[in-house]
Amino acid sequence: MSVEVAIFILRLVAGFCLIGFLAVLFAIVWRSMRQVDRQLASARMPHGYLTRQNPDSGQANGVAERFPLLAITTLGRSASNTVVVNDDYASAQHARIVLEDGQWWLEDRRSRNGTRLNDLAIDQRTILTDSDVIGIGNFSYRLTLISNLSR
Amino acid sequence: MRSAVESLANKRHHFLLLAFAGLSVFAGMAAISLTRQSGPDLWLGLAIWIACAFAGTALLNRYLPSCDPALFPMAIFLSGWGLVAIQRLAPSFAARQALWLAISVGAMLFAAVFPQLLRWLRVYRYVVLAVALLLLLATIVFGSNPSGFEFAPRLWLKLGAVYFQPSEFMKVVLVAFMASYLGEQSAAIRAERGDANMKLPLSPRLAGPMLSMWLLSLVILVWQRDLGTAMLFFVVFLLLLYTTSGDWRILIGGLLLVMIAAAAAYHLFDVVKLRVDIWLNPWPESDGRAYQIVQSLMAFGAGGILGTGVGLGSPGYIPVVHSDFVFAALAEEWGLLGVIGVLSCFAVLTLRGLSIGLTHSGRDFHKLLAVGLTMMLVVQALMIMAGVLKLLPLTGVTLPFISYGGSSLLVCFVMIGLLLRLSAEVASARHPGAR
Repeated sequence: MSVEVAIFILRLVAGFCLIGFLAVLFAIVWRSMRQVDRQLASARMPHGYLTRQNPDSGQANGVAERFPLLAITTLGRSASNTVVVNDDYASAQHARIVLEDGQWWLEDRRSRNGTRLNDLAIDQRTILTDSDVIGIGNFSYRLTLISNLSR
Repeated sequence: MRSAVESLANKRHHFLLLAFAGLSVFAGMAAISLTRQSGPDLWLGLAIWIACAFAGTALLNRYLPSCDPALFPMAIFLSGWGLVAIQRLAPSFAARQALWLAISVGAMLFAAVFPQLLRWLRVYRYVVLAVALLLLLATIVFGSNPSGFEFAPRLWLKLGAVYFQPSEFMKVVLVAFMASYLGEQSAAIRAERGDANMKLPLSPRLAGPMLSMWLLSLVILVWQRDLGTAMLFFVVFLLLLYTTSGDWRILIGGLLLVMIAAAAAYHLFDVVKLRVDIWLNPWPESDGRAYQIVQSLMAFGAGGILGTGVGLGSPGYIPVVHSDFVFAALAEEWGLLGVIGVLSCFAVLTLRGLSIGLTHSGRDFHKLLAVGLTMMLVVQALMIMAGVLKLLPLTGVTLPFISYGGSSLLVCFVMIGLLLRLSAEVASARHPGAR
């Protein structure tokens, strides 16, 4: 009798441990999936915004346009960009703002007419700070960073 | 800060996984010792397993703290389960298997911690491949079979008192070789794919290696009568080629080649014909040539949902149950629960392995190596599990980590070691300051 009871208890222990093992394994997988999900969400979340200044030649007409600043923000004339620049002097894929190592970088994407930062043309990727003005063709955009980001 | 919290959570998970695995293995061993007379080597095996589990976890935490937290516990749990199964089914082999486990975990730690290994596998790929091919050719000349039967396939080399199977080592070598070759070619392959002017259905860059791999598989099949390994190599190679090129025609073309080879082999080789015939209908010969597979199906039926309990079933009716048919024995004594357990472990392995590959998206060698190693283990597991269940013709490969077999266990752990190394390199690439 007692041997049978012992064997039965051992079966129960083994079965529950198997289930427990699988549960922890799934918990690990679940956690890492959640982590990837959070990373993707934070990449999609705006970290600030770009405000379009009115073209120098034009006069003040209506509200300034605002664009979200994403971890990878692209600027250009093509409709696939985050910020579409409707200007004849803008290239289709003109410039890019990326978040890397906690810094914001402005890159020119080999555009025809170049990209300006605070009215100076850039020749390499450059770190941006709050209220910098990015110039593309006749347009310029003021960068506003949301400082209290929880990253 | 966050990584510290993370590694603490990893450690807690590691500990929980080990505790569950240890209790489960202990319960199995104890149940065996209660159901029959058993010598001290049962507890010796358990002690070796516990030592391996703790040494492996401690050393990985010490030297490779950022490695994947699920892979090693999964491997050690499955191998513990395998030790219990071998102790139950073929007690005379258990001590030897426990010894191989110790060697395997040592080899895994070496593969995981030694930093130069990945580079060497890539740089000296032709040397490594040539050595492995020579060993494989040696089995054709000097091969033997531990069982000593006259007509059994001679896949082993005898070295003193130790038998080992070169085709097992070929698995790692071949995956590393293909990953490094395709990694170098991948840019050209993708460029050709984007080129709309290509009128050829398959570029020679893809078709060449595919055909030569097919021929190598056929050579293995013809000379060695090793249906499983030939099939495994070719399928994994196709999957790697598909991963590199993203071209679905690879899969269709490969399938056609497999079917041609299968049809030819069916008519040329008695082994293949027998396997296919008893797969299509085992019942007329259920106590003759199809005895093994029929008994395996009976074992699945006898197991039911919760199984008969360790030591209480009768899987001994299945011939050579401890190597190829160990899954049937698990199914009988652990029931559907055990089957789902094994399947879940391999599912988690697939998920983790492929995600390691995904995170290496810029580095083709690392990506393809992770995908190839994962696929090698998982396709092999699926082939033998489906074979035992009569879903596919039976192919005599081992169930990774669980089946009896020293070379197989060693190679499976080395693959896990390489995967752990790859997972740690992802983390160190992302935080350059951490290493």
